[in-house]
Formats: sequence, structure tokens, C-alpha cells
Amino acid sequence: MTAKVSRKQDSGQMSQRRGDQAFAFSLLSPALLIMLVVVFLPLAYAFFLSLNKAEIVVVGGKGSVLAEWRWLKNYLYFLVDPSFWYSVRVTSYFTGVSLAIELVIGTIIALVLDKEFWGRPVVRALLILPWAVPTVVNARLWGLIFEPHAYGALNGLLQTLHLIGPTEAVNFLAPIPIFQNVPGLGQITTWLGATRAINWLILGDTWKVAPVVALLVLAGLQTVPKELYEAAEVDGATAWGRFWRITVPMLRPVILVILVYRTMELFRVFDILYILMAYTIPVLAVKTYQEAFVFGGFGRGSALAFLIGLFILIIAFVYIRLVAVTEEA
Amino acid sequence: MGDRRKILQRVGLYVLVLLILVWTLGPFIWLFLTSISTQAKLNTIPIQWLPSPPTFEHYQAMFDPTSSTGALFLAAMRNSLIIASSTTIVCLIFGVLAAFSLARFSFRGRNALVMGMLATRLLPTIALAVPFYVLIVGYVERVAPMYDTRHNLVILYTSFIIGLVVWIMQGYFQTIPKDLDEAAMVDGCTRFQALTRVILPLVTPGLVTTGLLAFLLAWDEFLLALIFTRTSNAFTMPYFVFIVGSSQYYQSPAAVAAGGFMAALPPVILALVFQNRLVSGLTAGAVKG
Repeated sequence: MTAKVSRKQDSGQMSQRRGDQAFAFSLLSPALLIMLVVVFLPLAYAFFLSLNKAEIVVVGGKGSVLAEWRWLKNYLYFLVDPSFWYSVRVTSYFTGVSLAIELVIGTIIALVLDKEFWGRPVVRALLILPWAVPTVVNARLWGLIFEPHAYGALNGLLQTLHLIGPTEAVNFLAPIPIFQNVPGLGQITTWLGATRAINWLILGDTWKVAPVVALLVLAGLQTVPKELYEAAEVDGATAWGRFWRITVPMLRPVILVILVYRTMELFRVFDILYILMAYTIPVLAVKTYQEAFVFGGFGRGSALAFLIGLFILIIAFVYIRLVAVTEEA
Repeated sequence: MGDRRKILQRVGLYVLVLLILVWTLGPFIWLFLTSISTQAKLNTIPIQWLPSPPTFEHYQAMFDPTSSTGALFLAAMRNSLIIASSTTIVCLIFGVLAAFSLARFSFRGRNALVMGMLATRLLPTIALAVPFYVLIVGYVERVAPMYDTRHNLVILYTSFIIGLVVWIMQGYFQTIPKDLDEAAMVDGCTRFQALTRVILPLVTPGLVTTGLLAFLLAWDEFLLALIFTRTSNAFTMPYFVFIVGSSQYYQSPAAVAAGGFMAALPPVILALVFQNRLVSGLTAGAVKG
């Protein structure tokens, strides 16, 4: 009797579980189908294209794809092409320098905003403004500020501060190599593709992102228990010591996430560089765009796109692992 | 002595705050000031920071459908509003269902799916743009018009936004105790009714935040609009700002600034109004993983 009842309960739970599974799957399937069609299928197709010499032929308004199997030749083409490695270096330079500046400025802003002062909520609210400005508008905005004439905004500011002569003008977006008079360093910056133009563009990109980095760091700061600081102060730790020994370790998870998330965003940078510099700063996204949509080489473009995609997926994987480890700790 | 140090510290703090404000707002204010300047004022040396008298001719031109700028601007604004809202709605409907499923039920491959959703958000747009282009122009175009249409952009934008929606929403669902679903089902709700009548109202703040993020991402997108649109049928505000600054549509720096200011206005207003929500959403999306 008891055995029978319990078996009945068992099968009841089983069918409920099966019902749950069916329900879970029915909720999931539309989104999965969408992602299969608009993400995974195109990615698989990109891989197929990357193994071909692919061209689009349009006859009488009808397009068709001409594909010629080339094995891994498209990949080899880039791996032995110095201009590809130049693109990798310029992209890395843009990513690394932006990241460092964003983090430093973001942390400084966050530390200031962590203090009590009059009007703090308003200042904090206003910090979100640059982040909301679309990237294309940001590009145009800095294009105006960097105007290479004596009447440009940044030139005007430098004149007002007497950093340059009253009618002088700096061409901020000129492709001039930097640190050329410093032996060794000049060669390194040339090798990296560091120019005056890319440095000023990094400033423009940083303007949009640093305040959000600040807001995220600020959220992290608020999780640091105040008692820790008080205890350290009693023990005679200096402000600098407290920052390195308490704040930085406590912010580690937030900074880690910002680092990796921003690395991936910066690695695919396109808008600001394409709009203001066209093809003169060939970061990977710009190079891919040019390869596919200007030269019409969709096989090679796919190979490049696939290389960036693969690279980013690897970073994503590392990122997820790191976050998982931090959450366990 | 101590008092003096304290006062100095206070003054230093306010100087820093002022610097932060100038750095954060200065460039955007300059964009507006440029947009209401006459060409003569913009070309003066030394620079004149305040345009006097201001001119609103570029804004008038944008809202005048008979002018060439006006025709472009009004079409771009309409397209952007339609595309960004449609993308948001599509992503929210399907993303929320999937997020609820991922947050509530455990099954084999669940974690891999969640990570996969996040990973799609991290893909560079260009990696999808190339195969999309070949597929659409080479094949799909023969059976259905896609190139230079709004529905095409909605589909493409969904591809890189829906993963984020699923990711953030499943975080919000996990903050609601599972007992509530069960209580609702004991009271006679089906599983689906438990979601729509009990759980969804509780995550409304999360829905608003996620919807805003989706809208802002769709509004901001440029690369796909550049590749897949050409005419006023479908081009968006970022594309408009791109072409008024270069190409045959270029008029003057002030006109570019006015176009840029109008393109930035909707997202800036939304972000300022909902800034608390957005910051918590960004923190949920980024800080929590």
C-alpha cells in the first residue's frame, strides 16, 4: 500500500518535472530560434566564406554569390601580411592606452564623488550624459573640437591658456609619429602605430566612457565597509596606504569586469576612427570593413571578421572564468 | 591649524568637482554653442565662446520638410524611432520569456546557454555584418526585399541586443523568490499566468531598465546602418549625422553640430531622466558579470 502511494507520488513528480521541462523549453525556443538564425547561422556562414574566394555579382538587380574554394589561403594571406599585424598592433595600442586612461580618470572621478559635498546627486546624475551621446555624434563633436584652424575650439582653449601663440594652430589629427626625438621609444611608438592623431582620438573616446567607468567604480566603492578605513586610520595608515591596501583590493572584481568588458568594446572600435580618419588608422574593424565592402573581398573579409570574432570569444571565455572564480572566492 | 587644513581640503574638493563638471559637460555644451553660431562667429580669432547673437537657422532647416536637410533629418528621425522601438519590443518579448526560463528551470546545458547569450553581446558587429551582407544581397534579396529596409535593421539589431536582454533579465528574475510562482500556481494560475500576472509586475523596474538599454543600443548603432541602408527608406540618425558631416550634404560646422545635437537629444534626455535605473542596470549587466 505504502509502496504504491509513493510510486504514485514519484510518477506525479516525474510528470510535473517533464511538464516543467516542456514549459521551460517552450519559453526558450523563440529566442533560441532567433539567435540560431541571426547569430549562429551567419557565424557558421562566415566561416564557410572565409575558406572561399567570395564575390557578389549583381546582374539586373539580382545578386548572386560566386564562391571558389581556397582552403585556408585567406587566413594564410593575413598571417603573412605585415599590414595585418600592423592592424593588430594599432588596435592593441588604441585598446591598451584607452583602457589605462579610462580606468585612471574613472577611478579619480569616483573617489571624488565618494566624498560628501553640496550638489552631489546632481553631479552624479550628469555623469551619465557623455555615455548617452551616440558614438557618431561623439566623433563629430570631437572632430569640431579638434578643428585644425586658429579658430578651432581646442586651439582656442590653448591660445586662451597661452600654451600656443595667439594665431597659432595645432593640427591635432595629423598622422605624425610621436616621441621621435627619444631614441628607442620613438621606434617602439612607430612600430605600434602610435601617432598624434590616434592619441587625441583616444581622448575623445575616453570622454564618452570614463564617467560610466566612474559610476561603476563608485558602485563598487560603496560596497567597501567604512569600518575598514576607520580601523586602518587608527593603525596609522596614510591615505595613500589605505587606497592601495583597502580600496584597490576591494575594487578588484569591479575593475576586472570593467577591464575585460572594455577591452572587448575597444577591440572592435570602428565609428570614431572611420568617421574622422577614414582608412588612415587601420584598426581591425576598419580593415575588415575595407576588405569586404570597399575591395569586395568577402572571403578575405570573413576570414578577418572570423579572426576578430574568435579572438573576442576567447577573451569572453577567459572573462567568464575569471568572474566565476571571483564569485566563488 | 587643523581648521585651516579642513577648509583647504573642502576648497580642493570643490575645485575637483568643478573640473569634473567642466570636463563632462564642456564638450557637449560646445556642440550646442557651435550649432547656434553663425559661420562668421565660428571663424573669428581669438575664439568667441558665446555666440552673440545666436542663430537657430540650422534647427529651423531640419524641421522644414521642404529643405534638403529637413527631408533627410525628418526621415532619419522617423526611421530611428521606429527601428529602435521595434527592436526593443521584439527583444523584450522573446528575451524576457527566455530569461524567465533560464532563471527558473535547471536543465542540461543551461549554463552554457546563459554564457552563449552573453558571448553574442561581445561579438564585434563587423563579424556579423560580413556574412549578413553576403546572405542578404546574395540570397534573401531575391525572395524578399531586405536591403535598405527598416525591418532588415530591426532583425540585425535584434541579433546583438537580445542576448544582453536575456542576460540582464534573468538576473532580475533570480531576485524574485521561486515560492511566489508556486503560491500563484496553488491559487489556480497556470505556469504562464504565474509569469504574466505575478512575476512580471514585480520585475517592472528591471523591464524598464533593460528596455532602455536596448533602445539606447539600437539608437546608437552605426556600422550596420552604414552597410545596409542608403536612402531615406531606412537610414537612421547616426547615418544622418555621418552624411551631413561628409559627402555632398556637407554645409557648415554649425549644421553638423545641430544635426549631432538633435541625434543626441533623445538618448541624453532618456538617460538623464532614468539615470538611477540605468546605473543600476549597467551595474547588474557589468559588475555582477
